[in-house]
Amino acid sequence: MSFSFASLKPEDKPVLIASGFVLVILLVGTVYTMATQGSAPLLSPNYLLQQLQTGSFLGIVAAGMMMVILLGHIDLSIPWTVAAAAMMATTVGGDMALPTGIAVGITVGLVNGLGVAYLRIPSMIFTLGVDSVLRGLMVWHTGGFAPQDQATPIMRFLAADKILGIPVAIFVWVAVSLVIVLILGRTAFGRAVYATGNREGAAYLSGIRTRWVIVGAFVISSVCAAMAGILLAGYSTKAYQGMGNAYLLPAIAAVVIGGTRILGGQGRYAGTVVGVTLIVLLNSVLSIMQMPEAGRQVIYGCVIVGMLLVYGRGNKVVS
Amino acid sequence: MSDRPLVQLSGISKFFSGARALENVDFSCHSGSIHAVLGENGAGKSTLIKIISGVLRPDTGILNLDGAPMEFANPAEASAAGIVCIFQELSLVPDLTVAENISLATPPRRFGLIDARAQRQRAEELLARIKCEDVDPNAMVRDLSLSRRQMVEIAKALGKNPRLLILDEATSALTSRDVETVYGLLADLKADNVASLFISHRMHEVERLCDTLSVFRNGQHVETFAKGVRSDRDIVRLMIGREVDAHFPPKPVTGKRAPHLVVEQLRWENRLKGASLNVGKGEIVGLGGLDGQGQKELMLALFGVLKGVEGRVAVGSTSGVPGSPAVAKSGRSRIALVPEDRKTEGLMLPMSIADNLLAASYSKVSRGPFIDPALERQAVADGIAKLQIKIGRPEDAVATLSGGNQQKVVIAKWLMTDPELILLNDPTRGIDVGTKQEIYRLMRELADEGRAILFYSTDYAELIGCCDRVAVMYDGAIVTELSGTEINEEAIIAASLNIDATGPLAGASA
Repeated sequence: MSFSFASLKPEDKPVLIASGFVLVILLVGTVYTMATQGSAPLLSPNYLLQQLQTGSFLGIVAAGMMMVILLGHIDLSIPWTVAAAAMMATTVGGDMALPTGIAVGITVGLVNGLGVAYLRIPSMIFTLGVDSVLRGLMVWHTGGFAPQDQATPIMRFLAADKILGIPVAIFVWVAVSLVIVLILGRTAFGRAVYATGNREGAAYLSGIRTRWVIVGAFVISSVCAAMAGILLAGYSTKAYQGMGNAYLLPAIAAVVIGGTRILGGQGRYAGTVVGVTLIVLLNSVLSIMQMPEAGRQVIYGCVIVGMLLVYGRGNKVVS
Repeated sequence: MSDRPLVQLSGISKFFSGARALENVDFSCHSGSIHAVLGENGAGKSTLIKIISGVLRPDTGILNLDGAPMEFANPAEASAAGIVCIFQELSLVPDLTVAENISLATPPRRFGLIDARAQRQRAEELLARIKCEDVDPNAMVRDLSLSRRQMVEIAKALGKNPRLLILDEATSALTSRDVETVYGLLADLKADNVASLFISHRMHEVERLCDTLSVFRNGQHVETFAKGVRSDRDIVRLMIGREVDAHFPPKPVTGKRAPHLVVEQLRWENRLKGASLNVGKGEIVGLGGLDGQGQKELMLALFGVLKGVEGRVAVGSTSGVPGSPAVAKSGRSRIALVPEDRKTEGLMLPMSIADNLLAASYSKVSRGPFIDPALERQAVADGIAKLQIKIGRPEDAVATLSGGNQQKVVIAKWLMTDPELILLNDPTRGIDVGTKQEIYRLMRELADEGRAILFYSTDYAELIGCCDRVAVMYDGAIVTELSGTEINEEAIIAASLNIDATGPLAGASA
């Protein structure tokens, strides 16, 4: 293994390590269940599909987050973008539910992108502010309670139904993934994202419209968050306060575990998919092991830090 | 000059992941000598000085200091032993003041805390020694121009009381006045029995300053000789290992050219004060003058980077200052800019050679909304072939290339856009002789194809050798235009100092 490592591209190495770790998690979990229950539920296709179904919400959020992180920025407005899109979609209801949710995403993305690209406010601060504003708007809109509106049938179909025994949510995640891969690999915009993330000044002086690249990435991030919100509302049949809170940090963790440089400019989408899988499986194995919440958090944190340490070793500064 | 060398290397080799950087090098330098190290980029000069100054450790061989073997674990140990290096890449912290930077490693302390007053005083003394009284010790380094930063770097090195001072391209960013100061300083140090190792690509500097020359090629020490033993031609031959016929390509003799770029009364903040200039199709116009007289701003203004530019600009059939580089490179104006600093402005260093080459011309390799991999490969291969860039694979990071090849990538990137006006901001700074000559030839070829070229250089020899006309800038405006036989060193220097604005200086242009 070690001999071939040297010839790998730096961005491929984390993908392989994370994939290996996914297998380790499955192995450890299976050994545990075999020892205690004499069965291997982790390896059953149904169980895995169910995990990926819940994982697909995180996967869609992480796909959008990756675009922003590739630019060296971050989008902290994810939690209430998820909630706002879900709430507005269920409020409007009917055929307009999906377009409304997506429109919320586009609007939030434009605000984020214009603030970061034109007002030059650091994204960490600006998106945090936008998150807070959205939260206020939603509390105002709902009166602070969970809205009574139900998710529309199409939302429920997308989030909770199955086609050929495979949850539809996984198809949505696959579709989003294909679009992101196509954007990153085969469009001028995607190449410009990498160039801008590496060195904005050099990209600008190459005639790349770096501001529009930033706006575009934030719009993609918010639209992905909005889609996740719509699916999540469909999955639990309604929208509720704080429904997006559990997605922000795992999404960032998944992107970074997948090998995307937190400072931008480097990363592969395959890594983000592996990162999402890793986080989802780690969570489910820990819950199968009936690990108490406190222990789970400790292990979860240690895994993230540990993986980054493993990646960081190779990248010594070469003068 | 003492008999025993101050620093002596014997049998030093250094390999980077299998590639040879230095092989079996014997080298020595003596106190009270100014010793030039010459060689193309990639010849091993940088590795040599990194080994001497403790940044790198040799794989094999011995380093003797005062005749006793030494091993430096880090630059701090070398610096304590009196070996101080001024690196090509500036090593100042932009957000600290000049005084803090000068005393960064060993600040003067009182009761364990940094003594700010002593620190400032120390900075003032050191800056006065290199005649930089105009630099405020309390100024932030980020607010200084590149040439001032370089002088602060020199002051910082002096503050370490060197016994061996290594200057790696330390004069490449300096104004001519500062260069004179540094020459004086090196002469003083020589009289104080300090050894200097001087690395420069400028032959005339080496000739003026140094008493001993060593030539490196391909990681090997070719020859060391006293100044004057070999002719320039011989030295260049030793460096590149082949004969060089003409330094600059011949200039064509032509009459009047239709102007392609016309600039009238260009103003921007207090840096451009009514600059007027024109460049014809097929013409190379040099931009001269001291550092920081508005040359960089003029180029950035023409390329659409600066906001609030006033004045009239016409490029071909378009008029007006472009709003952004994206506008400047496209449409009918088709402008290209090779920026001043290739590492931060010209390239995305960690990205692949292919990605860097394509960064300005995604639309050229796209079909509809998508990039066509076949067109992409073809465009990259064409760019590499046209400039004869020496690379491993196009997927390798551009950071793995030598300086000269990196600059070729920047130029190839812009040639892919088929520009009609090419702005070159000091494109040959810090690159080797062989590549420089290729760039001179390329510039002339591009001009002969009918493109207009505006070429800023800090090296007078380049302006004299390459340009059809030279416009000299002083304080944000163009004070003199020279053409034909008027282009000579005396005339350029006189114009740079703005001393013949009213009439020719007696004897200067003779």
